[in-house]
Amino acid sequence: MTIQTASEGISFARELETKSADFYEQLAGKFPAQAETFRSYAAANKKHVTNIERAYYGVITDAIEGCYAFKLEPEQYPLDWELGEVPELSSVLAKALQNEETIVRFYKEAAEQSKGTMADVPRAFLLVARKHEERIEELKSLAARQ
Amino acid sequence: MALLEEPIKEVKVLKNYINGEWVESKGELVDVVNPATMKVIAKVPISTREEIDAAVEAAQNAFYDWRRTTPLARSRILFRFKELLEENFEKASRIQTQEHGKCIDESRGESRRGIENVEVACGIPTLMQGYISEDIAHGIDEWCIPTPLGVFGIIGPFNFPFMIPLWSAPYAVATGNTIVIKPSSEVPLSQDFLAHLAEEAGFPPGVWNVVHGGRTVVNGMLEHPKIKGITFVGSTPVGRDVIYRRCGETGKRCIAQCGAKNFMTIMPDCDVENTIAAMMTSFFGNTGQRCLAAANAVIVGDDDKFYEDFVAKVVDRASKIKVGYGLDESVQMGPLRDPAKKQNVLNYIEIGLKEGAELLLDGRKVKIEGDLPDDCFVGPTIFQNVRPDSRLGSEEIFGPVMSIMRVKTLEEAVEIANANPFGNGHSIFTSSGKAARYFRYNIESGNVGINIGITAPMAFFPFSGMKDSFFGVLHTQGKEAIRFFTESKVVIERWF
Repeated sequence: MTIQTASEGISFARELETKSADFYEQLAGKFPAQAETFRSYAAANKKHVTNIERAYYGVITDAIEGCYAFKLEPEQYPLDWELGEVPELSSVLAKALQNEETIVRFYKEAAEQSKGTMADVPRAFLLVARKHEERIEELKSLAARQ
Repeated sequence: MALLEEPIKEVKVLKNYINGEWVESKGELVDVVNPATMKVIAKVPISTREEIDAAVEAAQNAFYDWRRTTPLARSRILFRFKELLEENFEKASRIQTQEHGKCIDESRGESRRGIENVEVACGIPTLMQGYISEDIAHGIDEWCIPTPLGVFGIIGPFNFPFMIPLWSAPYAVATGNTIVIKPSSEVPLSQDFLAHLAEEAGFPPGVWNVVHGGRTVVNGMLEHPKIKGITFVGSTPVGRDVIYRRCGETGKRCIAQCGAKNFMTIMPDCDVENTIAAMMTSFFGNTGQRCLAAANAVIVGDDDKFYEDFVAKVVDRASKIKVGYGLDESVQMGPLRDPAKKQNVLNYIEIGLKEGAELLLDGRKVKIEGDLPDDCFVGPTIFQNVRPDSRLGSEEIFGPVMSIMRVKTLEEAVEIANANPFGNGHSIFTSSGKAARYFRYNIESGNVGINIGITAPMAFFPFSGMKDSFFGVLHTQGKEAIRFFTESKVVIERWF
């Protein structure tokens, strides 16, 4: 089902971040040596939700094109949050990298589509995308050390 | 997409809020119906003359102390009110959707716009400062002091149940006046909720009053000698012939913001994609029930290909608008407020057909998302070949109906817009600065949009209007509201 309204777009972003946070919380429980890093990711996910909601609730007015902000297909952003019974660090890092790249792609596309209509929201999306890109570099570095 | 949770789960029997007390009315109770589900969500009293009189007396009694409360102290209560509004932002928004039908993005937008007025009014210690000239003559100084007047009546419409009373209320109380709000009896829940927050914020008893009802309450306000002024938003016949006229007869200040027929001028050099997105919001947002909604799309130029391609895209986009219950996040357009308003729109569709306009998209054949009764739903409707002097092209419909007209030049577009008796929110879509300036300079419209579909002024600007769209002098919002709610007391002082 196509995401068109601002409310749907924000809800989708919230879902991505919340599931991502849950994923890293689980990783923190399973990999004590990297627990601090993973917990910091989960905390950052929650902060991203706050920042996106702040931008949306701050800028939404009856006058902007909130109901026509997006044309996003959620199935184009498939994410795999399953860890399996006995996860190995290298495989979960690969999964995390893949998810992060998908999340970045979502935010960039959402920002591009809404840049003419949603004022501060696309900027918030791009800021969060940049944070996820930084995380991608950290995850790559973590994977390289394995 | 799942429905967001409804904040009103049981039928609530509303009370008046008078002198800091929640008072049961002796008036008849009327159902408040959610137009999407047709379920009764509240019962609102049609209050009596005695009840509006009691509210005015309470407001008058509270005025003496309230005007002596320092602007800084009044501002602090407004800050608390603003905090409570933020804390309850989502609940307030969902109440609007439940009682009015608008979709959730629109309700949140309405909440934000309303709160912005409270934010602006929080600056009252500086906004209300007067001015002084020393030595206007030898040893004589002259001051101008803005002083509050007393009790003001605020009469709200059905289309923005939360926001529109907030165009006036925060400024009225910030300047030291007291208020009696009469919400629309069709959508009284938002103002009921706001009054609870006002109480929690700490406004003293009698400063902020709410009396539900209909004509009796309005007449009571208009006739009461202790009411110093009225702000009203509603139809032109009521605003002009009742509110404005009777305020004049009784010496009250008046802001009457009324009807509209807004023209959107589309130049061939416009950014087509962004223009169409703006058109969807402007024509069909709030289901066309806003005084700033575009009604006529005037396409300029003799390029047939541009015209045909543009209109085809507009129709295609409008035909895909999701219509349903506004608490479904994916819905882009809700129902009309009630079956009578739907019937009014259906009547205009018939009128358009009889007048020879060509129906390109028929909202009578609407597909509604979910299992909902169709009592109040009409889909986006588009006519072309509409004459500007026809009833379809000239009268306010207040529904999701777009009338497309075609003219050769920008001058002609401005001329037909100016020939219409309303002047509320005309706009132009173009990439030419020259065309935009010509339009801005010559158009007779209180609010003007350049590549903006809904020309809603921010809280720190006046909500303007011209011709049959506005009756009064000063407007709601911002500095003009401060002037409206204060008298300029001029002091000339000499000491021997």
